[in-house]
Amino acid sequence: MSQVVLEARELSKTFASGAERIAVFSGLSVELAEGQSLALVGRSGSGKSTLLNVFCGLERPDTGVLALLGERFDYREPETAGQAEKRWARLRRRRIGVVFQEANLMPALSLLDNVRLRARLAQQPLDQCQAWLERLGIGELAERYPDQVSGGQRQRAALAMVFAMNPDLILADEPTGSLDRRTAEEVTAELFRLQAQTGVALILATHDPELAEQCGMTLDLAHGAPAGQAR
Amino acid sequence: MTLFAALFSHYRRHPLQLVALALMILVATTLWSGVRQLTEQARTSLTQSEQVIAGRQQVVREDGVAVTVGDFATLRRAGLCVMPWLEVPRDGDVGLVIGVDPLSAACFGDEGNVFGDAGYRIEGEPFVDISEAARLAREFPGTERAPTLVLIAAGAVKAETLPAGYRLSAFSKGPDTGELGESFLLNLDALGVLVLLITALLLRSVYRLGIVQRRDSFALLHRFGVPPAQIDRWLVLELLVLAVLCVVPGLWLGSWLAGLLGQGFGRSLQGLFDAPLYATSGQWLAPALTMMAVVLAACLADFLVPRTRLVVARRGQGKLAGGLLLAGLALALLGPSLIWVFAAVAIVFAGAGLLTPALISRVADRAGVASPDPLRRWRYRELAVMARQLALPVVALQFTLAMVLAIQALVTTFEDTFDRWLGQRLEAELYVPVPEGRSADAAARWLTSQPELQTGGAWHRVVRGRGSVSMSGTAPAPVDLFALSPVSSLVDGWDLLASADDPWGILAREEGVLVNEQLARRLGVGVGDRLELDVAGAWLDLPIAGVYADYGRPAGEVLISAGLLPAHFQAAFESFSITPGALSRAELISGLEAVWQVSELAVRDNEEIRSLATGVFDQTFLLTRAITVLTLALAALALLIMGWVFFTGRAWYFRLLAAWGLSRREVAAQLTRLSVGLTASVALLALPLGIWLTWVLVHRINPLAFGWSLPMAVYPGFWVELIGLSLLIGLGIALLMGRQLRAATVLPVSANSLAGGER
Repeated sequence: MSQVVLEARELSKTFASGAERIAVFSGLSVELAEGQSLALVGRSGSGKSTLLNVFCGLERPDTGVLALLGERFDYREPETAGQAEKRWARLRRRRIGVVFQEANLMPALSLLDNVRLRARLAQQPLDQCQAWLERLGIGELAERYPDQVSGGQRQRAALAMVFAMNPDLILADEPTGSLDRRTAEEVTAELFRLQAQTGVALILATHDPELAEQCGMTLDLAHGAPAGQAR
Repeated sequence: MTLFAALFSHYRRHPLQLVALALMILVATTLWSGVRQLTEQARTSLTQSEQVIAGRQQVVREDGVAVTVGDFATLRRAGLCVMPWLEVPRDGDVGLVIGVDPLSAACFGDEGNVFGDAGYRIEGEPFVDISEAARLAREFPGTERAPTLVLIAAGAVKAETLPAGYRLSAFSKGPDTGELGESFLLNLDALGVLVLLITALLLRSVYRLGIVQRRDSFALLHRFGVPPAQIDRWLVLELLVLAVLCVVPGLWLGSWLAGLLGQGFGRSLQGLFDAPLYATSGQWLAPALTMMAVVLAACLADFLVPRTRLVVARRGQGKLAGGLLLAGLALALLGPSLIWVFAAVAIVFAGAGLLTPALISRVADRAGVASPDPLRRWRYRELAVMARQLALPVVALQFTLAMVLAIQALVTTFEDTFDRWLGQRLEAELYVPVPEGRSADAAARWLTSQPELQTGGAWHRVVRGRGSVSMSGTAPAPVDLFALSPVSSLVDGWDLLASADDPWGILAREEGVLVNEQLARRLGVGVGDRLELDVAGAWLDLPIAGVYADYGRPAGEVLISAGLLPAHFQAAFESFSITPGALSRAELISGLEAVWQVSELAVRDNEEIRSLATGVFDQTFLLTRAITVLTLALAALALLIMGWVFFTGRAWYFRLLAAWGLSRREVAAQLTRLSVGLTASVALLALPLGIWLTWVLVHRINPLAFGWSLPMAVYPGFWVELIGLSLLIGLGIALLMGRQLRAATVLPVSANSLAGGER
């Protein structure tokens, strides 16, 4: 039996809009084990990115319980922001890899230095960084800067950064959203290939049904709330 | 939506940028117009006070050429009440013959009375009809000095009524009491120019940043068919409207600031001239137009210079900066006049301005490459980007810090030196001016006859007046005379800049003279050189036994033994400097009162004079310091604003660090290291510039402008304070940005290509 990486129970999140509060999602529950992949789908503004931010502690839900990689965050109980922040920072630093739609790289560093920076923060060996770039097919571009390579190459570098930190969970927010179809397919193929090789759990937010199809499970946030059930 | 609304929509989205730009124009106008107004007010006040002291004014030619009878005719034909005044130097008892034209004096009304007082003497000099004076000049050349024609103007003659090419000037036969004020005005003028330069740089930096961010909108509008020239026109109009809206209240605030700071200067003037004078200036149009021109030029320079030329300039920037620095340094060292030295300062500042951001960036890049730690490497590379992106406010801060450092060093050195110098000059405990019409000789005899004065006491008589001096083959030049008798131990403590063996003995034996630094520099003479001195017609030819420091005025002065003065010498002022010793103060005063047969003596003691003199200087320098501190505050504000805008574009990448597992505190720490690293680098690079500027002020500008120089002193304690201040500015930026990081961060519009993604 694979170990559960993430377990969310009754998560709810609202945003203030003037005097009114608008629900982004409410009563959302989901579970994900190692090696599994989950697609968060739904139209723009349905809360996919917000949910990913909640899963990595960059945003806080209003209520619910979240158990993640051995840490439990009970949002029904008061906890000082500082304590939670420390636990989340530790998780993000070493065990959760985050990939955004774009701008995943520090512009002033070369691709290799970006990967080395991410590996250094995760306290992983730096000598594997070049190898990760090569595994993603951009080894010869290691000394180039982000603005000197294409969008697809930048996303490959972002994946190299994530895998170089040897995470237990990858959260990817529209990772191919800014790429053309062919490049997007190539990057996605690399992502799933490496995910399968490393056995890392993956949560991927996308509005692309074909990409979602490649994930083991789908959580449909299309209509905002209540959440769909993972299949 | 109109084109203007589309263009302006950037500021609707980023109101802070608009506020920042408006604030910069407002504060820059306030500061510059405040300094300018102070200078103008001070200048007017000085002219007025000189006129009050001199009692009358003269018309002079603006080109500096001596006035002639032709000028007199021109002015009279223009309906102006002027009178010719001919001074004919004479040998012997006569000294000087003054010729005036009684017919011309008729239009002076009551004022004319001062020219014809009883006994046909004016200020102690004989007074004759101008035709008689002219005859004397022709028939009895007398001395080597040429007769001088002066055109005295009635009080009703105002500057604005004069024909072009003429101006009013105070007329006095005494020493120019406005010299110190003039030297101070020169400092204020230079400070005003520097403030204008710094504020222009800051304005440009804030405006350019907005333009960079709006470039996408311009490109979009161009694609929609709007010609670039039309966009440019709208941008100029937008800036013009903003400038008008901000310059006008800025001028009002500048006037308020000048009023606030001017009270101090007013007190200074009062101390200098014993006259409670302070003029107000109501000029608005000229400063408003100047500031508008500066705003437009600073912000729109890119529109005026072809872009290709800018690119070329950037490529050769390092060489250009190096060349400018070398040329400026050489010029500062060798420049023959004040204008060349000012030009040298401008060139060195331009070179430093080009070099500083590039240097910080280069060093940070190198340090990044050398660092094995990826996080440290990232930090160095970010610092390099910051230095390049914030080049203009960085340079403005550097200039301001250098200016503050130099002015502080100059002021402190001056205060210390002046205090020490004053201590030497005020060696005696009491100073007693000889009352009007009383004999200084009688008092000297009485003092000599007091045995108690010999026990721990000392005294000398001081005679002040005018003479003229020449080197062999040069025309005689007027000079202040400072005569002493006897040469007592009161002068033993004087620090001489250069001297022969036993200079005071030489002076006492009447075998030589001492000259002040100003005269030594002006004539290019030193110890051992011989000086030809005309003292009321008596020619002395004596060697220079020493050169003494004489701060605060540019006039040349010769110190001689009073025994060398001819009997008919007209002293402008006589006094005694006395340390009573065993004689009690009361006995001394009553004794002198008895000799002079006066009921009360005006006796001033050492402390009173010292506090009066230092009070004047404190007030004067308070103003200079206040202006530099305000400029520093403005530069700090600009860097804060620019830092804010820069980090807003860059915030996503700090957010990325948080997504990679750095806690908010750790991200804030990285931010702090960066901003503090930048301001500390700027402060470190400002130090050599500031020290160099101090050297220029002390060793080049002061001697060229005023004839005296100060010892060069540096104040490392103040450097530490300045670096501390820079660190505080860096911390301020980090604190401000730390707050911004707590808010949701927007992804850069187009990663790694537009604002926020520079490397």
